[in-house]
Amino acid sequence: MLELAFKGKKTYWTWIFGLLAAIGAGFALYIWQINQGLMITGMSRDVSWGFYIANFTYLVGVAAGGVMVVLPYYLHNYKAYGKITVMGEFMAIASIVMCVLFILVDLGQPTRALNVMLYPTPNSVLFYDAIVLNGYLFLNLIVGWNALEAERNGVHYQKWLKPFIYISIPWAISIHTVTAYLYCGLPGRGFWMTAILAPRFLSSAFAAGPALLILLCLFVRNTTNFDPGKEQIQSLAKTVAYAICINVFFLLCEVFVAFYSNIPEHMDHIKYLFFGLHGHASLVIWMWSSMALMVLGIILTVNPSTRKNEATLAVACVMIIAGTWIDKGLGMISGGFVPNPLHEINEYAPTLPEIGITIGVYAIGALVLTMLYKIVIGVKEEAHA
Amino acid sequence: MKQEHTQHRSKRYGMVIDLDKCTGCGACMVACFSENNVPFKKDETDKRLSITWMKVYRIDNGRDFPNNQVCYIPRPCQHCAGQHEGHSPCVSVCPATATDYSRETGIVSQIYTRCFGCRYCMGACPYHARYFNWWDPVWPEGMEKYLSPNVSPRMRGVVEKCSFCFHRYQLARDKAYANRRKDVKEADYQTACTQACPAGAITFGDLNNPGHAVHQIVKPNDHVVKNKAGISIIGKSQNPNVFRMLERLGTNTKVYYLSSREWVRKAGDNYIADEKPEDMFAEQKKH
Repeated sequence: MLELAFKGKKTYWTWIFGLLAAIGAGFALYIWQINQGLMITGMSRDVSWGFYIANFTYLVGVAAGGVMVVLPYYLHNYKAYGKITVMGEFMAIASIVMCVLFILVDLGQPTRALNVMLYPTPNSVLFYDAIVLNGYLFLNLIVGWNALEAERNGVHYQKWLKPFIYISIPWAISIHTVTAYLYCGLPGRGFWMTAILAPRFLSSAFAAGPALLILLCLFVRNTTNFDPGKEQIQSLAKTVAYAICINVFFLLCEVFVAFYSNIPEHMDHIKYLFFGLHGHASLVIWMWSSMALMVLGIILTVNPSTRKNEATLAVACVMIIAGTWIDKGLGMISGGFVPNPLHEINEYAPTLPEIGITIGVYAIGALVLTMLYKIVIGVKEEAHA
Repeated sequence: MKQEHTQHRSKRYGMVIDLDKCTGCGACMVACFSENNVPFKKDETDKRLSITWMKVYRIDNGRDFPNNQVCYIPRPCQHCAGQHEGHSPCVSVCPATATDYSRETGIVSQIYTRCFGCRYCMGACPYHARYFNWWDPVWPEGMEKYLSPNVSPRMRGVVEKCSFCFHRYQLARDKAYANRRKDVKEADYQTACTQACPAGAITFGDLNNPGHAVHQIVKPNDHVVKNKAGISIIGKSQNPNVFRMLERLGTNTKVYYLSSREWVRKAGDNYIADEKPEDMFAEQKKH
């Protein structure tokens, strides 16, 4: 099937080469980082995880979001999603590839990365995170690829695929749960130390993942002969509406617990993010825009007339993706480190090389996604021709 | 029989720092730098990128002159024992077994050649005692000849931290063996910061040994007590002026602080405005 990814019009190849250029630039910056060390990033003693890990966390969510089409189709036999299940699975593959790369570029000694597997440490959550992420990548590759190949050949997918499909559903929940556990078990980091962190991660994942999928579906419909379907998009929109409501609700739960209990180490992070603390307020504008974007997203997706209108739905999806990205990508990681447990405030902002490497990783993800979707569309067009 | 048992009892090396004596001169930091080959940069103005195994923090009581008071808090690695010996926050999270807890000495180690620089331990450490080598350590011309041969210099991309001058423990142990002694003498194993402090504010030794000065000042509780939140507190000091940093987390550190000033003791943890640090062990008092 891979040959389908190498047949395309001029616009397709322009896009591919554009991505390759971005990847090249990011790679050059990464070589520089390898040479110089991580000092070229904005990270420091106080904020020892930055933009890379934040984007990693966000993309784990997008990957887990793919299960929102897999679950209704395979467990509830919701036939309509049959058309787009593979799109959910391939979106998950591209996201996981980016997740793994973000971890890799964040390491100080990437040449030793395989030690995670060679010398397993069952006491470390990072060990389990490596297992679930790579496992989810392979599950989606196996399931997505075989199901698509079966569709191309006009047959039902093989029986042995069933167990993998069923495993992949709880596995999707597990990737984001384990990722949340990376943070929420740490003493002294009040912002993360909450039992609701994993549910919060999942709720934002199930909003952001399907929102991206809606945008991809709309794009595919407008540019190819394959229509993912109106009903499918509307069903996804309902998932997004529920998930984004739950996400904001969870956030408000956190605010209540922190401020009603009056526990300083839980309150101060929220104060820092939304109002600034002791004159440090670099994230305040971001956090309020995130809140505004998510609330507007709720209004547009809950209201039936704006949800059914695909133009406003697309706007809502962009808002939700941006809102959850700021919330998780900028607020969640920095917010946990600032103020530090000794109540000093040292803020963080990514540097240009750091952003360049990040864009490079996103470009790799986009390239993987483009090629996989090109294959999907090729198969679908053959089937409907 | 009983005597032999106490002889084989494992050690718990720790220190107590008298904050009323500390003048904030920073001699401990300098001694630590040269003893442990801690790298530095040409431009050390950005302290967030500095590596300081021992760091002196300055706090004040937030009041105006003439009631303003200042206190300096030296902070080495706190060598947490965790909820049970060996459950330190950093040791628990390390995916490379690059940091380990010695049940023999209570020292939290760092094995540079195993570390792959994920910095999970830095996120886990509540004390910012862990430092990442953001850059390659470059020594000024000729200075490499003055490095301590007992401590390996670190490479870019790994985490490092205070080891309680573990190489000195190794030397003291070798000396004890050579002299056919079983135990390391108190005076034979002292950290560089302890010896450098001109105010004599730092006392270092075996917290399990009643003969050691550190034990006599700290008077650690032999029994594990539980605080209100049900967290086990190991080695709670029975000296009312002694506290540990962020003690309520249950990290059970082996670095104790001593101060007769209540606002200093209160600064050691996150308290709400009208809370008394003493309330933390209200349960213990009842008995």
